[in-house]
Amino acid sequence: MNRLLSGLFWISLCLILAFITLPLLVVVAASLSPSSTVTFSPADWTMKWYAALWASKWLDPFILSAKIAVIVSLVSGVLGALGAYAIAYEKCPGSEAIMAFLLSPLAVPQIVKGVAIVIFLSSAGLYALLGTPGLIAAHIVLTLPFAARMIATSIYNFDKNLDRAAQILGASKWQRIRHVLLPLIKPGVFSGMTFAFIISFNNIPLSVFLVRPGQTTLPITVINYMEYSLDPVLAAVNVASLIFILATIFLFEKLGGFSAQIHGGSK
Amino acid sequence: MTIVATDSPAAPARRAFTLRGYVPLFPPFAVLLLFFAVPIGMMIGISVQDPKTSQFSMASYQRFLTDGLIIAGLFRTILMSGLVAICVTVMAYPVAYFLARSTSRWRAVVFALAIAPELAGVVLRTYGWLIILEDRGFVNDALIWLGFVSSPLPLAKNLFGVVVGLTHVVLPFGILALLTSIQGIDPNIEKAAQILGASRLSVIRHILLPLSIPGIVSSLLISFTMAASAYATPALLGGARFKVLATMIFEQIMFYINWPMAAVMAIVLLVLMLAITFAGGRVETRLHKKLNI
Repeated sequence: MNRLLSGLFWISLCLILAFITLPLLVVVAASLSPSSTVTFSPADWTMKWYAALWASKWLDPFILSAKIAVIVSLVSGVLGALGAYAIAYEKCPGSEAIMAFLLSPLAVPQIVKGVAIVIFLSSAGLYALLGTPGLIAAHIVLTLPFAARMIATSIYNFDKNLDRAAQILGASKWQRIRHVLLPLIKPGVFSGMTFAFIISFNNIPLSVFLVRPGQTTLPITVINYMEYSLDPVLAAVNVASLIFILATIFLFEKLGGFSAQIHGGSK
Repeated sequence: MTIVATDSPAAPARRAFTLRGYVPLFPPFAVLLLFFAVPIGMMIGISVQDPKTSQFSMASYQRFLTDGLIIAGLFRTILMSGLVAICVTVMAYPVAYFLARSTSRWRAVVFALAIAPELAGVVLRTYGWLIILEDRGFVNDALIWLGFVSSPLPLAKNLFGVVVGLTHVVLPFGILALLTSIQGIDPNIEKAAQILGASRLSVIRHILLPLSIPGIVSSLLISFTMAASAYATPALLGGARFKVLATMIFEQIMFYINWPMAAVMAIVLLVLMLAITFAGGRVETRLHKKLNI
């Protein structure tokens, strides 16, 4: 009986892991297959779908998405740090209510935020903001709570005695923020910014309302294309953007060194 | 305890707290007010306007409650999200248990496999499921080749396809929710029961499952809310016939240009989310009290 149960456990674990990885493997194989029939034999594989990506049809949306994601991650990082600073460092009165307000967008489904923003921009006569500016604003609203929460956590975890030591030694407030607080919470700020970048780059439910012709992000371009064709070029687009995201995470990690924090090893 | 004295330099700073402390909050608050709070308020305002004359009217709410197609969409949303919540929790449990208890070097591999798909985004995974499940896809090709079926099974563009796709999208969150809960259970309780002669099955039934109920509840909750508000997966894997609230909202905005109706649907979705999160939160706190965690 016990044998049977543990056998069942291992089999179900393997099946579930297979379920998780299957679509990813299929997409990678599809991006390398010569025709729309997916093949898993490396001998037949070709890079022609990746070569097809070098056209403005795919490059323009990619550049737009990357541009938006960079701006969104920078702005969310700065705004999130300001909010987290007031709440977690200054501990201003009412900080719990303030944090609740900063996190409130999380309680609202993205599609609802999308409807609200598109109604707002259209009925407030801000049509001009539809497209890139609207996308940036909407993505900031979406990612700011994550950034604020991550940065607030790292400020809470930061050793206040170091700050006191600097104060006793005569450091001004600005000096303490600049030379004590910021270097120590840098991993938190960078993980918040990385999060914002990924969420913005992959976003669909908000972007779908705000794109306009000529200003369409990559995921929206892909789903519009998917409506009528499942061309392997889509597989190549998806794999290429996944590689781009992994490269960005790697870059952010090099700059901010947040992996220690994610593994729970913050000192 | 002379160390206490060193606390004093920080004390004046705290006493001297002034309104200046609120200044850094201004930029994030301004952004959230302008692009979140005001738009949500406007959406609620528009929901009580007549679609044509912009006069005050509850017509869209009335239509929501009486239009059979919309009610069907609401029930489809609830059915789909309920199924996803159950599938995710059932599938996440063994993975979370393994991650909570294993000390082998495979743990890191399994953790990476469980979480990594989240980086890939919804489009890639939905595309993957489409080429697996569509009529001329992978599974159907294999089934026909093996002779199990003569014509392709309808695996995509229906409830089945959407539930598979969403389960895949939400699974990592279910795993994390259950992992936190199972990690909080003392493994010695399981060992003690085993030493006292309990079979593996009764350890699961009488110890593991009851103690991990808070984790199960939070996994069900997060899966339900994520599934109910998902847009891309139902839109792509559900096809034209399988409409849920999220895709119907999009149609109202983009095709029918009926803002009041879209606003009403969005408000219903929002209220559904908040109600479930609130009810689930109540259940969770009660369970935590009962289990003394």
